[in-house]
Amino acid sequence: MDWPDTIIDVLKKYDVRFISYLPDAMGERLLRLAREDTDLDLLPLTREEEGVGVVSGQYLGGRRGVLLMPTSGLGNSINALASLSIPYRIPLPMIIGYRGDLGEFNGTQVMMGQALPDILRAMRIPTFYLKRADEVAVITEGFLRVAYSNESPAALLITTQLAGWKE
Amino acid sequence: MIDMLEATHALMRKVGDDALIVPTLGNAGLNLFNIGERPGNFYMRNAMGSACSVGLGVAMACPGQRVIILDGDGSLLMNLGSLASEAWRKAPNLIHICWDNRVYQMTGGQPTAASGPADLAAIAEGAGFAKTARVETQAAFEQAIEEAVQGEGPWFIHALVKEERAERSPNSPKSPPRIRERFMAGVKP
Repeated sequence: MDWPDTIIDVLKKYDVRFISYLPDAMGERLLRLAREDTDLDLLPLTREEEGVGVVSGQYLGGRRGVLLMPTSGLGNSINALASLSIPYRIPLPMIIGYRGDLGEFNGTQVMMGQALPDILRAMRIPTFYLKRADEVAVITEGFLRVAYSNESPAALLITTQLAGWKE
Repeated sequence: MIDMLEATHALMRKVGDDALIVPTLGNAGLNLFNIGERPGNFYMRNAMGSACSVGLGVAMACPGQRVIILDGDGSLLMNLGSLASEAWRKAPNLIHICWDNRVYQMTGGQPTAASGPADLAAIAEGAGFAKTARVETQAAFEQAIEEAVQGEGPWFIHALVKEERAERSPNSPKSPPRIRERFMAGVKP
């Protein structure tokens, strides 16, 4: 099974029903599968910060959702995470296509990419990396478990080691 | 011009007990607490601009319950893209009300872009809302709400209100986890 299929399977196992997203090339690998899956409901966003509100609202309404976005999207989401999801204790699983790291072709992505781990650490957001195909199932499942047990945001980074880099 | 407290009062008379209400920070939440405190209110204490996104998420999760966003002009101007997302999603149970007093009141009354040429109802229409109303009187507000609760949404109601500061009650809910737990006890996904 390819890594996108594995991630989708784990999301469904954890009753995730909604994927709110801003597209990127890595995320599209998941979106392509999710569009064909009647158990999953996609919401396109105009900006990632919206997704923090929407996924929080879905949880408040008794349903699970995830936020799928590129690295730059975390930068757009910081205050909503800090002043909504974290203080209200709302699980907010974020699946992030990791740009600006190994093999990046676009120099303007590198600053955000290199700052990303420090930003997540500063916000005490549990962060996990997908690097190897044989670890995708256990890491994705573990990431969701932490988001729901800790009732907080958690980040899952899809790296270029797993997904390949953009040419 | 509409008195926000009176309009909130009328709103609470017209929406059912199981309606879920998401007010933005400031006047919208303070007036809602003073007039219509109930577990189905999710008070935003911060995250300016996010009330409408939270409301959209609740509406998606609870299609059997009416969801009402109580926005402000300052808050909505921070997240105008949400109007496009809401209109595209077409959640029939969603009513987005924007109280427009044309100022950032909690920070000293600085003018918002709504005091200038920006027309929030026209922006909502342009974003794709098929049902919008721009109301300046209590009677027109009540009529718009009446229509919105009878039919299918999403609705955008742009209410021009007086520039009055809501009273901050010492009893208003302070603990975010408690606001969240209380709200979730009343939802029917």
